[in-house]
Amino acid sequence: MSLTPSLKPSALLSTFAIVAAIVGCSDSGFESSYVYSPGTSSLIREAQDGTKESSGVKALLDEHFGDPQHLRAWEKMPVDFGGTVTAIEEIKESERGTPVVKLAATEGKPFSVKPLNLQLMTGASAGKTVSISEWNAETNEAVLAEVPENQIVAGDSCAVDGGTVLTSGRMLYMRHCSHCHGTSGDGNGPTSRYLTPKPRDYRNGVFKFTSTNDMSKVSREDLSRILRNGIPGTYMPSFLLMKEDEHHAIIEYVRFLSLRGEYERKLVAELSSDFSQAAYDSRLKSGETKADIQKELSEFLAADLKESAETLGDDLAEIWTAADTEEAAIVPAVPRVPDSQESRRRGRELYLSKTLNCADCHGIDGAGNGPQTIAFEKNPITNDLYNEPGLHDIWDNLNQPRNLKLGMYRGGRRPIDLFSRIHAGIKGSRMPSFKNTPHEDIWNIVNYVLSLPFESEPGGTGIAPSAGTVTAPPAN
Amino acid sequence: MKKFWALFFFFWPTVAIITCLIAPSRGWWFPSPPMSRTGVQIDGLFYLILIIVTITFVGTQYALGYALWKGATKETDSKAVFSHGSHKLEIIWTIVPSFILVFISLSQLDVLAEIRVISKFPDKAVRVAEVTARQFEWRIRYPKPGTELTTEENPGDLYFVNELHVPIGKPVIINLRTQDVQHAFFSPQLRVKQDAVPGLVIPVWFDVQEVGTYDLVCAELCGWGHYKMKARIVAQSQSSVEKYLKQLEADQNADGTKAATADSEE
Repeated sequence: MSLTPSLKPSALLSTFAIVAAIVGCSDSGFESSYVYSPGTSSLIREAQDGTKESSGVKALLDEHFGDPQHLRAWEKMPVDFGGTVTAIEEIKESERGTPVVKLAATEGKPFSVKPLNLQLMTGASAGKTVSISEWNAETNEAVLAEVPENQIVAGDSCAVDGGTVLTSGRMLYMRHCSHCHGTSGDGNGPTSRYLTPKPRDYRNGVFKFTSTNDMSKVSREDLSRILRNGIPGTYMPSFLLMKEDEHHAIIEYVRFLSLRGEYERKLVAELSSDFSQAAYDSRLKSGETKADIQKELSEFLAADLKESAETLGDDLAEIWTAADTEEAAIVPAVPRVPDSQESRRRGRELYLSKTLNCADCHGIDGAGNGPQTIAFEKNPITNDLYNEPGLHDIWDNLNQPRNLKLGMYRGGRRPIDLFSRIHAGIKGSRMPSFKNTPHEDIWNIVNYVLSLPFESEPGGTGIAPSAGTVTAPPAN
Repeated sequence: MKKFWALFFFFWPTVAIITCLIAPSRGWWFPSPPMSRTGVQIDGLFYLILIIVTITFVGTQYALGYALWKGATKETDSKAVFSHGSHKLEIIWTIVPSFILVFISLSQLDVLAEIRVISKFPDKAVRVAEVTARQFEWRIRYPKPGTELTTEENPGDLYFVNELHVPIGKPVIINLRTQDVQHAFFSPQLRVKQDAVPGLVIPVWFDVQEVGTYDLVCAELCGWGHYKMKARIVAQSQSSVEKYLKQLEADQNADGTKAATADSEE
């Protein structure tokens, strides 16, 4: 899907096109495309495709994110696209008649050793990519390989070799990840149908195992940890042997796909109450005319959506950036309570308590067989009962509580990992956040949970009867 | 044309002789020199068989070439003679190879026993870790420092994935198991290869001679992600392994507070 002709160059402000050719021709022959979410397809056609004057959801998405062969870097997004963004300081003419542009030096972010491309981001040539034929590293002067159609002037901003990280991330993602997680990050790759649990659909922007607060997004470090450690108990293997820069590229590309998916959802949310196919049908029934609704839609697209398209992007950028800050990280107020019989017993009390009610799902012995696992649950969106009993996650997959006796910890087995699971909950699942529980209590529960796999009998808190009795003083 | 075919069949054994003479010194047969002691013995067996096979191949090929050459240079007006074969020859070419095969099977028994038979394992071999193969990675479990590895998990055991640290210069044992289908623990440089069979805990011993990082790959087609099942064996001095395990223990006990981080950085 290419850009709609109605797009004005000004709309491309702060977006630069990334050309797949940057990484050479190893991408040859195979074309892939991003799919639009079911949310988008639930809208009426005009809301999806836009009107003559304004862009619809699809065009906005393509304008900001492109397609796999022509990725677009929306500078606003907190993704390391690679390359260096700078401004043109001065323009001269080379002997061959092509322009020579002198680029402003950037602090901290050096240019590549031999830059190949210059992507123009503002001015008349915005959105165009020009090859660099010669590069002078001392003066930051680039001889362009051709004369651009439209003029370039000093002051225009541009990216040098922009998108190198993202394109290499895409290449690696397609090789290692896409067969499960899908080209669009929708968790719907060809091998996904054979897997339980299902591979993550990134498009909600929700990741389960994070070290960030319950309301925060996933941090880069969390993604990196999952990539390095894999997720035991699922099909996600460890990619420990990958190089550091490959890890980085994949993580940035996963963030890119998540942001694309979340942006799409947010755009759809703006439109769905009035312009989904269902809403449209019921509005027609209630006496509104087609023409009225069409008129309202084109006004909405031209004014409201155009505006919110930018603010939604800002909001996304803000929350995803915040996830990597110190404020988002979960830091226990007290160090881990030493693992003792007393602490475990206290943990078990809390585990069984009415307020925390862990046993309701995880079962009184922690075997993951609480009463909720056999209750029929309502889908919170459609309000219908699910077909099978048990708990479901936001991806509508059956997602039963963990059997804590197996010693299988998907999000990591460090005490801090378990602490984070309890503190922030498991995002997207029915495991809620217990952030208001005193941290000391959480540690007691962590100690109890960590002892469960080694329990000699249910409720034995991990210590064989011969090794101590309930009345024995706490042993450290 | 007749002579061409005779020369053709002379040509190949000649190539074989040259290749077999050059290859060991150029390292064509193996990915690296053997990095474990049993590896040296395995390579020895390989060369023994190679010599036998080369001699047999070259001998039969030259004989074939010689017969062809004789036929090619013979007067053509004589008639072909039908023969029932030679009883004596057939007995010879049955008995000689069977002696060779018996010789090979006997001569490798010692090495096989040393590698596979548990009672023949070196006395001093230490059980360093349990390696659990699963689709598609290698999960490693070290016993809690200062304790012995057991088949059951114990509190304080240390876990990692796709990287196995072993001390050099001494025999080590790993307990090999699988969580799902059959896999094979294969380290080409160490010349170690053992299938992991569902339901079994199979001890595998080896002794790495030099510090280094060696490949650990799966050598049993185990599913669509078989090619992903790559890990590394890091061989280092005993003290480095202990240091590594100490760091791993600190990481695994991290409670996310500053104090713990400072401890682990010591």
